[in-house]
Parts: sequence; structure tokens; C-alpha cells
Amino acid sequence: MGIYGVYIVSKSGGLIFNYDYTVPKIETEQTFSYPLDLKLSCENNRLLVSFGQRDNIKVGHVLLAINGVPVSGRKLEDGKDAIEMLDDVTNYPLNLKFGRPKMTINEKIFLASMFYPLFAIASQLSPEPRSSGIETLEADTFKLQCFQTLTGVKFMVIADPTHVGLEQLLKKIYEIYADFALKNPFYSLEMPIRCELFDTNLQALLEQADKNGINSI
Amino acid sequence: MSRQNTRLDVKKVNSELFTLTYGAIVSQLMKDYENVEDVNKQLDRMGYNIGVRMVEDFLARTNAGRCYDLRETADKIQYAFKMYLGITPALTNWSAAGDEFSLTFDTNPLTEFVELPDNYQNLKYSNILCGALRGSCEMVQMDVSCWFVQDQLKGDLATELRIKFNKRLEDAIPAGED
Amino acid sequence: MTIYNIYIFDRMGTILYQTNWNRLKQSGMSSEEEAKLMYGMLFSIKSFVSKISPLDPKRGFLCYKTSKYALHYYESLTGVKFILNTDITIKNVRDLLHQLYKEIYVEYVVKNTECEMGQPIESELFKLKLDQFIKQHMKSLQ
Repeated sequence: MGIYGVYIVSKSGGLIFNYDYTVPKIETEQTFSYPLDLKLSCENNRLLVSFGQRDNIKVGHVLLAINGVPVSGRKLEDGKDAIEMLDDVTNYPLNLKFGRPKMTINEKIFLASMFYPLFAIASQLSPEPRSSGIETLEADTFKLQCFQTLTGVKFMVIADPTHVGLEQLLKKIYEIYADFALKNPFYSLEMPIRCELFDTNLQALLEQADKNGINSI
Repeated sequence: MSRQNTRLDVKKVNSELFTLTYGAIVSQLMKDYENVEDVNKQLDRMGYNIGVRMVEDFLARTNAGRCYDLRETADKIQYAFKMYLGITPALTNWSAAGDEFSLTFDTNPLTEFVELPDNYQNLKYSNILCGALRGSCEMVQMDVSCWFVQDQLKGDLATELRIKFNKRLEDAIPAGED
Repeated sequence: MTIYNIYIFDRMGTILYQTNWNRLKQSGMSSEEEAKLMYGMLFSIKSFVSKISPLDPKRGFLCYKTSKYALHYYESLTGVKFILNTDITIKNVRDLLHQLYKEIYVEYVVKNTECEMGQPIESELFKLKLDQFIKQHMKSLQ
């Protein structure tokens, strides 16, 4: 069993809540000699491996640190340019850390707003009349289950592809949302959920579902 | 709408017929173009057109997965030579950065009966192979360059084809999006 | 089981072929616009999947389901995209799509030099074989 995270999107398509339950850490550190036998490219202001996968360094991983100094964007924390460092023979051997890029909160907001039109188009392109939007989306590495309430709020959970019973889990999360966000007089609709009781109850629910299976909740 | 239902037995097509056919094409091209450089270009273009189709057949038949490293690609290319031409070129002369390598052939079925006339010294007789490699790699989102560095036809000890990885190609984005 | 319709795109996003079998609802737009919308949606889903995936994805997006239909996605390494809409009870459509790529697309489009790459497929033989293939599987999977 594995639950990765929960997203709640408001009626107007804004991300109002996100919780990462388990975040697999995918990082590899290795010492390299000149010339670097990985092809790097710069995308979205990050240096990522575009070709030349080896060991656990996969295509799509970003450069996180050089000789233990964190890299953000194309620059090291001490202001040096990462590409220049990698191109200079005299700097080698270099210790490089690569890893799967973590999503920033801005990216999460962007993805949540992206799901909204996808949901609507899926219904529009349906070959059968009266179809809902996307309820389950499967990829080789995860499964996304989406539950839309009659009021238009979307609850999404991301889990291992083999995970079953995610529908029940989403209904339970809906109950927690009703109990600890909506019934809280200080929570305003459509706004990000910042309620401690909501957090703790959701966490307890996910732990229980993860440990004892969905049927125990 | 005609297509035979009985396929030819791929193992039973005479390889000499293949070699002769290729030779006839090259010599006809030399007559039609007169200029060696143009012929090299045409051979490359013909190879490219074969490559972009042949790669689909290769993928469908071998169930190959995507390559994330040029070494994997090199193994697949070597296997494809075995599959389509019945030869296994050696993978040699890797560059230090792992982005360039050579295929070295001790036999080349395309050149079996060929003697290159003196005034054809610039003809890249087997250039169709370069085009085919370029075309098939392009279809799997890899931009590569290929060229001959040695050729037994020109008196070299071996025939060596060099392949260099340039960059990964991306999927087309839908019109009107950034 | 029911198969509703299929779309085939090349890697440049050109619609190569689309056809319907038991489709009950039209999208209310021309087939070109519909194909464009479909490609746009898939492009967004692929980018969505690659970003939100907690682990390194290999094949990425496989399928989605709504209350009424399932969309199955298969992409060859050369970027040819097959989209098959079916009812929601069917399983293992991925294998079916791989078979379709191998036995129909490669055989009757790629190896047919009359079919220009990157152009909509006009071959009657291909259309016939695809129709036979789908109808045969609709029967056998019932």
C-alpha cells in the first residue's frame, strides 16, 4: 500500500489544500571525472539530465549539488555558475548530486489548475452521452483518483497503481473537510484550508488507511 | 488494395541479389547525377527514408524499450545490423564523454563485388547506411550525425562508421500553446 | 465489451486516422477540431503526469476513466499515438493497442510506400484491416 498525497481543488479551480503523505526521496551522489559523460540541458531554469542515464541517475533528474554545495537554477549557492564549473577540466574530479525534481508549491498550484480543464474536456470528448469528467487516471508509477462533490469541489488522491478502495478514502476525506473546514466558522469558502484539526484528522485517516487497509476506516 | 497473404520467407531472399540491386542503384545514380557529391546526398536521403520506416518494424518486432544512454542505443543498432543485414559490427572507439562511438565492420554485404574506379574516390558507396541510422534515430527522438571514417573500398583495413549523439528531440506542442 | 472510437496521431500531432464504431454521442464540433482538442488534452495530461508522478515514470500516462467511458493511450517509441475509447469494463487494452501497432500500423502503413509519413492515412487496405481487427476483438473479449 502506498499513498503519496492529497489535493483539494475548489469549485473555481484553485488549489486550496495539499498534503504530501509520503515523498519518495530519489537522489544519487557520485564522483565524476572529466569529461562528464552525461548530457545536461537547461529547462525551466534547472539543469537536468537529458541523455546518458547511468546507475540511479535517470533522464529527467536535476542537478542538486556540486561538491556538496546546493545548486539552485544554474547557480551554486556561493554564486558560481554551475555550467562553467562543469566545463572546466581543472575542477575535476567533481562530486555531483542528482535527483528527481521536487514540486514547488507554485508548480502544484499550476498543476491543480491544469487538471480542471482536462476534467471538462474529457467529458466533452466522451463517446457516450452524460459522461462525468475524469474519475481515475492511471500511469505506470501512480494512480490518481478524483472525486467531485455535487458542489464542485474536487478531492484527489495520488497513490500506488495497485491501491484499491481509493473512492471510499476520498469520501472519508470529504467528511473530514465538511467537519473540520466547512463547519469551522473562521474558514472562508474557496480559500486555502489552514485548520489544524483538519490536518491532524486527515493525517490520522491516511495513516490508518495505509497501515490497515481502506476497509478499516 | 492488393497484398499477398502469404509473406515471403525473409530467410530465403538471396543476399547476392540484394547486393547486386544496391550496386545497380548506385551506378545508375552516378550516371544520372554525374556529380559524386550529389550521389552521396541522394544515397543518404534514400537511407533516411528507409530508416524512418524500418525503425517501426524493429520496435514492433523486438519490443525494445526506450534508450536513456547512448550505450543502450549502440547495442540496439548492433542488433539491428544483425537482424537486417546479418552482420554484427563491433562497437569501438567510444569518446570519453560517451556521446560518440564507431561501428567497425570486417565485412559489408553492400560492397561484396565492388571495385571503386579511381575517379570515384570521393563516392561514399555505403552512404545509405548513414542515412538509415540518422532516420531511425530521429524517429526515436534522437538527433545523431553519422559518417564513414574508414572504408575498405578505399584501401583501409576496416570499414568504420562513426555515430555522434547531438541532442534529444521533443514532441511537437499543439498549435497555439507555449 | 464496446469499442467506441479510435484516434491515431503522429509525433508532430497530425491526425493520421480517426474512426467510430459504436459511438453514441458526437462532440458537436468538426472532426478536425475534435482531433485538435484531443491532441491538446493528451499533451497536457502527459505533462501533468510527468510532473505529478512521485517516482520516475517510464511509460507515463496509460488510461483514464470517467463514469461512462475509458480512454486508453499507447505511444510507440517513435511517438505515434493510439487512443482507443472503450466502455469501462475492459482490461488489458494496452496489449491490444501494442498488437494493433505491430500488426496493423507497421504492416499496412509503415511498410506501404504509398502511405506518406506524416500524412493522413488513405489506404483502403489499412482501413479494412483495422476494422476487422477491432471487430474481431470486440467479439472475442465479450
